Amino acid sequence: MNWVGLQMLRNDRAKFAAMIVAVSLAVFLMQNQAAILATMLSMTAAQIRDVQDADLWVTEPDVECFDQVKPMRDIQLLRVRGVAGIAWAAPLLKIDAIGRSEGGRLNTVTLLGIDDASLAGLPQKMRVGRADAIRELDTAIIDPGGHELFFPGEPFRAGRSVRIRNRRLRIVGVSDIAAPFTGLPMLHTSRSTAAAFNLGEQHMTSFILARSAPGGNPGEICQKINTLGGLRARTTEQFAADAMWFYGSQGVPMLFMVTITIGLIVGAAITGQTFLMFIKENARPISMLKVVGTTDRQLGTMILLQGAVVVVLGSCFGSGIAAAVCNVIRTQPFLRSLYLPWEIALGTCFALASVTGIALYASFRHVRGLEPAAVFR
Amino acid sequence: MTPPDLTAVLCTGIRKHFGEDDARVEVLRGVDYTVRRGELSFLVGPSGCGKTTLISIIAGLQETSSGEVSLFGNHLARMPHPERVLFRRSHLGFVFQQYNLLQALTAAENAAIPLLAAGTRRREAVDRAAALLDRLGLGSKTGSFPRQLSGGQQQRVALARALVHEPRLIICDEPTAALDHATGEAVMELLASAAVHPDRAVIVVTHDSRVFHFADVIARMDDGHITHVEPGQRTVANPHPGSSRNSHPSA
Repeated sequence: MNWVGLQMLRNDRAKFAAMIVAVSLAVFLMQNQAAILATMLSMTAAQIRDVQDADLWVTEPDVECFDQVKPMRDIQLLRVRGVAGIAWAAPLLKIDAIGRSEGGRLNTVTLLGIDDASLAGLPQKMRVGRADAIRELDTAIIDPGGHELFFPGEPFRAGRSVRIRNRRLRIVGVSDIAAPFTGLPMLHTSRSTAAAFNLGEQHMTSFILARSAPGGNPGEICQKINTLGGLRARTTEQFAADAMWFYGSQGVPMLFMVTITIGLIVGAAITGQTFLMFIKENARPISMLKVVGTTDRQLGTMILLQGAVVVVLGSCFGSGIAAAVCNVIRTQPFLRSLYLPWEIALGTCFALASVTGIALYASFRHVRGLEPAAVFR
Repeated sequence: MTPPDLTAVLCTGIRKHFGEDDARVEVLRGVDYTVRRGELSFLVGPSGCGKTTLISIIAGLQETSSGEVSLFGNHLARMPHPERVLFRRSHLGFVFQQYNLLQALTAAENAAIPLLAAGTRRREAVDRAAALLDRLGLGSKTGSFPRQLSGGQQQRVALARALVHEPRLIICDEPTAALDHATGEAVMELLASAAVHPDRAVIVVTHDSRVFHFADVIARMDDGHITHVEPGQRTVANPHPGSSRNSHPSA
C-alpha cells in the first residue's frame, strides 16, 4: 500500500511540487542563514586558530577576543617562559593602522608583528611567496581579502607595496589564512617592522604565544600561568571559544536566529498546510481504501512515507542549493571562509522534518477520523 | 425461513438513529433482511429511506443502535475493530456509484487494491487484476488510467476491484446511477454473470427500475423499514439461483 500512497502523491503534481519547493526554500534559507552565522562566529576565532605552532595564548586578564588589544609589559613574556612545562613563548604584536596602496586606495589594516627570532604565529599556508620572507625589514605578507581591497581585480602577486604612516611596506607574498571577522586586510610582518608603526606605544606585545613541552598538559600549564597573577592563559580552543562567545553575546546571532526560525515556521507551515490539504482533498479515495479493508496502520505508514518523501526530496534540493550558493559566495576573497557545516545541514533538515511531523500527525488524525461510510454518499 | 447454512446475510431488528433528543433522527426502524448465498438481492426504495445506512451497517462501517447483523455466521458487531477491518478486507467487495478509482493508478492497479491491502506482492496482485479485467472485457485497457476510460469502463474496473480477492459478499451502491441505460444494462449483465456464485451473495442498492429484471430478490424499503420482499424476474426464470449459477470469472 505504500506504493499506492506514493503514486497518489506523485499524481497530485501541483501539491507535490509546492511541498518540495516549500521544504527546499525553507531548508535553503535556514542553512544559508545558519552557515553565515556559523561562519561569522568562526571568523571571530579565525586568527586564533590560524596560529598552529602555538597551543597556548596568554593575554591581559580582561581580554576576551583577538580584536581586544591590551599591550603587555615585556616582563610578562619572561614570566611565562619561566613556567614549568613551557617549551617556548614568543610575543605577538597587533596594531590597527591606515594603509594606502600604490593606486591610492585607503583601508584600515591589521598589522601582526611576528617574533623576529622564532617567527611564531607565521601563516602556515601561502598562496603566493614564502612566509619567512618577512624577516627582511619593511616587508609583509597580505591576506587574499586585503589584496582584493588594495588591488581590486588584480591577480595575486608579490612586489606591490602599501604605505602606512608614510612608510612603505613591500608585499612579499599572499597568505592563505581564514578571513577575519572585521574584514580588514591582515598584514603579517616582523615584530621589529611592526614596532616602527606603533608610534607612541611603550609596550610591543599584544599577546604571548606559547607551546607546551611534549607530553605536557596545556590545560594544567594554563592554570600554572594564571596563578602567577596579572595574566590569563588559555589553550587555543579555549581562547577561540571565548572569542566566539564574546561576539555571540552581542546580539547578532539573535537576528540570524529570528530569520532561521521564520524559515522553519514558514517552510513547515506551507508544507504542513499543503500536505493537510492534499490529505483532505483525497478524503474520498482514502475512505474507499478504508472501506476495502486498508488498516489505520497501513494508512499511517502511507502518510509517513509520503511526508518522508517530501521532506527528504525537499531537504536534498534545499541543501544542494545552499551548498551551491555557499560555493559561489566563497569565491569572493572577503567571504572565502563561508562554509556550511554538515551539522547545520543535518540539523536544519531534522528541525524541518520534526515540525512537518506535526502536520503529518494532524493528517493521520484526520484520516483516522474519516468516516468510511461517507464513500457511499 | 432460510436454512442457516444458506444464509449469507441475516439482519434482525436493525435500528439506527443519529443524534439525540430533539435532533434524534430514526433512520432504520427495525429492519429484518435476509440474503441467501448465490442470490442477487436488490434493495430499492426512495432517497432517504435508509438503504445506504443499511448497507453501511451490513459492511461493518457503521454500528447499529440495536439489532444484530450476521455475515456467513459472523457477527461483525462483536468483533474488535481491527478484526472487523480484516474480515471486510477478506470477505467483502464493493462497487460504488462514483467508481472511486484512484486517478494515480492504472485500471489493473486500481483493480488490485484489495490484494495490495492484503499484502499480496504488487506484481502478482496486478497480474491477477489484469487477468480478471481481461475476462471482464477490458484486456486492452489494463494500463489505462481512469481519465482515459469511459464511465462504463470505469465501473467495470470497479467491478474487477470488487471481485479480485474473491469475496463472499459484494455490496453495490447505485452501480448504474452514473451510466446511461445501455451502459448500465451492460454493467449489470456483467455483474450478474461475473459476481453471482453459489457461495457468494450480491446486494445491489438502486433506484434504477430499468435494471430490476436482473434481481433474484427485490427488497423494497421505505421510511426505515423493509416494506416488501418479492422475487425478481431471474428467480421466476430460475427458481434456484444459488444452485444453478456458477459463472464466477475466476472459476
